[in-house]
Amino acid sequence: MGQAIHLNGNGHHEQSFWTKYLFSTDHKTIGMQYIITGLFMAAIGGFLAYVFRMNLAFPGEAIPLFGELGPQQYNMLVTNHGMIMVLWVAMPILVSGLGNLLIPTMIGTDDMAFPTVNMLSYWIFLLSSVVLLASFFVPGGGFAGGWTLYPPLSAGAYADTSPDFFTALFSGTSLFILAVALEIVSMLMGGINFLVTTINKRAPGMSAFKMPVMVWFLCIASLDFMFSVAPLVAGAVMLLFDNILGTGFYDPVRGGDPVLFQHLFWFFGHPEVYVILLPALGVIGEIITVFSRKPLFAYRTIVKLSLIAAVLAIVVWAHHQFIAGIDPRMATFFSVGTIIISIPFAGVFLSYMATLWGGSIRFSAAMIWALGFIGLFLIGGLTGLFLGSNTFDIYAHDTYFVVAHFHYTLFPIVFFAFFAAFYYWFPKFVGKQLNEKLGKIHFWLTFVFFNGTFFLLFFNGLMGQHRRVHDYSLFSNVIQEPYITFEKISTVCAILLIVSQFIFLYNLVISLRKKERAPSNPWNAATLEWQTSSPPPHGNFPVPVKVYHGPYEYSNPSFSLDYVPQNYDERIMDTESKQDQYEPTADIISTT
Amino acid sequence: MLAFSIFPKNISTYGQEIDNLFWLILFFVTVAFVISLYVLLRPLFTNHYKKVPKARYITGEKKKHFRWITAALVLLALSDFAILFAEHPVWAKTQENIPDPDMHVAIIGRQWNWIFIYPGKDGKLYTADDLYIDEQNSGLHVPVNKTVVFDLKARDVVHSFFVAELRLKQDAIPGRTIKRWFKATETGKYDMACAEICGVLHSQMRNFLVVESQEQFDAYMNTLYEKYKTNQ
Repeated sequence: MGQAIHLNGNGHHEQSFWTKYLFSTDHKTIGMQYIITGLFMAAIGGFLAYVFRMNLAFPGEAIPLFGELGPQQYNMLVTNHGMIMVLWVAMPILVSGLGNLLIPTMIGTDDMAFPTVNMLSYWIFLLSSVVLLASFFVPGGGFAGGWTLYPPLSAGAYADTSPDFFTALFSGTSLFILAVALEIVSMLMGGINFLVTTINKRAPGMSAFKMPVMVWFLCIASLDFMFSVAPLVAGAVMLLFDNILGTGFYDPVRGGDPVLFQHLFWFFGHPEVYVILLPALGVIGEIITVFSRKPLFAYRTIVKLSLIAAVLAIVVWAHHQFIAGIDPRMATFFSVGTIIISIPFAGVFLSYMATLWGGSIRFSAAMIWALGFIGLFLIGGLTGLFLGSNTFDIYAHDTYFVVAHFHYTLFPIVFFAFFAAFYYWFPKFVGKQLNEKLGKIHFWLTFVFFNGTFFLLFFNGLMGQHRRVHDYSLFSNVIQEPYITFEKISTVCAILLIVSQFIFLYNLVISLRKKERAPSNPWNAATLEWQTSSPPPHGNFPVPVKVYHGPYEYSNPSFSLDYVPQNYDERIMDTESKQDQYEPTADIISTT
Repeated sequence: MLAFSIFPKNISTYGQEIDNLFWLILFFVTVAFVISLYVLLRPLFTNHYKKVPKARYITGEKKKHFRWITAALVLLALSDFAILFAEHPVWAKTQENIPDPDMHVAIIGRQWNWIFIYPGKDGKLYTADDLYIDEQNSGLHVPVNKTVVFDLKARDVVHSFFVAELRLKQDAIPGRTIKRWFKATETGKYDMACAEICGVLHSQMRNFLVVESQEQFDAYMNTLYEKYKTNQ
């Protein structure tokens, strides 16, 4: 990385170890810090899942690596698994991590608009992770009232907070709420940076519809996040006040209302799903175009459909509350909205699939992860129709059907899309090539064991197995065959799913130890981040880039090239000599 | 069809309609899934780069290119509306239009039991002679084939009344009284769970719904009167 060329006069000077890797304002370092922290939190979240899955399959037995699991601890693990995976894994990895790495490089600029704010946003995020992990170790243990934080269980006496201010402040519940608030502050700073950077810092010629779809989706996701997050912040602050100052915002005895919090929470909680879905869709869009050598089908329409979906996403939140005592006539409105939202997303997914038709498809590791995402998300999205229908939700709500549906949407988003992105962009940002074969083994094992973990749970849910239950021995519907066996299969597959991730770690380690450097554009991609060295120098582009072409000019018959880089200027560049440079890199593609 | 049944036994008058809704949605979802899977997988088999070295350049921006997707979206919209039209009458029946009760009770969730309040001899709820039963496993006793309307409340935190066989689930919210109804068609003893996490012993919060004949029910009420007479 030392050979950075400093021609652009943006003040990118040589850095010491500290400013380069730790307190860096460079968006690439910050992006990687987010991803590494997110993966670390994913390991914790995965371990929690292992412990409570073991308890569900083998109730009452001591769990290897953990020991006895009591009901309070069970509730705590379930609660923290949920919140960690959504706010400390999905958000930092997909939104902040990929957004930081990709937005400046894809729009052809040197860094974020506010690099220092960017650094601050990471450090606040790290602080929030520390606060969350610390909440496990305070007297009374971590918060155990469900990741949705519904009061009164999360407020006042029911959250075991003491009337003493400081004891209340350092209780598991308060620290949990505080961690969520800090995380949101950090993500807000990141979101502002993404929007300002995209609006102000695009390279000359990078018009709105020359931006890669990833940048579009990250911006729409940031907008959705910012529109929806304020009520949650207000809700969380009121909850914190209920806990440490003794207010009664959610206490009906003192004129409060517990359902108020549910509205504030889901007003954020539902758009949040789209906040992490959209970057995942962006990743998939980039990858399927490159590996089918075709332009993204109906690119402009996809962007417009996503904007419609992003607006709709803000007005469907109460479908999480169909049976929470809201007016039944109001539920009808939310049911209609929820079911209608399937239309724009179906449009996006069908356009992605249409991109494959007539393509020249290369099954690289990144590509099969992307295809796996589409296949699994189909199941996740379609099972959403059962729950979006408010009448069937009367029965299915709070059962394992919801758990299975949720994991069929969120697991592909968080892990399949992330691993697709990882195998695809690793050579660019680390400068080493990952082992493709190991990447594919990793994919197939994850794919099989993921389905093994969650598919049978749909049936447990339909049988009426309600969730977040430490011990089902009182419920005769659940403790009968084949549902006991389904629980066991699910647990065994969950363990194997976790174990399969060691292949990924192994691949990572051997690739980092490789001597040979990755080529600057191993996949022959047209977007800007591939038109600089791997890894990009501090400042990204030694010579400021100009954009002449759209992001997906693959196999365009009006050019003699296989693909046209966005900054390719036919007036300057000598087509004959350039053609060699843009021939497919045979040794990498041939392994596919 | 399968070695095990998908749903637990149905004992309520509207349960079958909710199950039918599942099968209707499953039909649309299966059609959509099969079509999508074909669209996704076919090019993977036919368009490997060794068979098709050069991709076709299609931007998909023209209406003509998009017509298949438009058609699919119209079909999806029609299925969506079919689902909505099929479900709305059931929703209105179960949630909006509460019928005249044969029996009116109150159910209160607390950490960690379901409390039942039966009307006393006057047949009216919320009068001095109400029978207030807070016992583990006491069961909510109701006569078979009678419309039972209940007021659902919670004393401390959010609970959720769930009897799988009735296909009925409803959150109980502190500070609110929520009215729901059912009419059980088969005698028996069914699990009554709490489906919303409500604290440490959430998994122990179980009571029963006991559906019995009118005679058995009257006898049960008489034993309750005897038992609680001294408290009146």
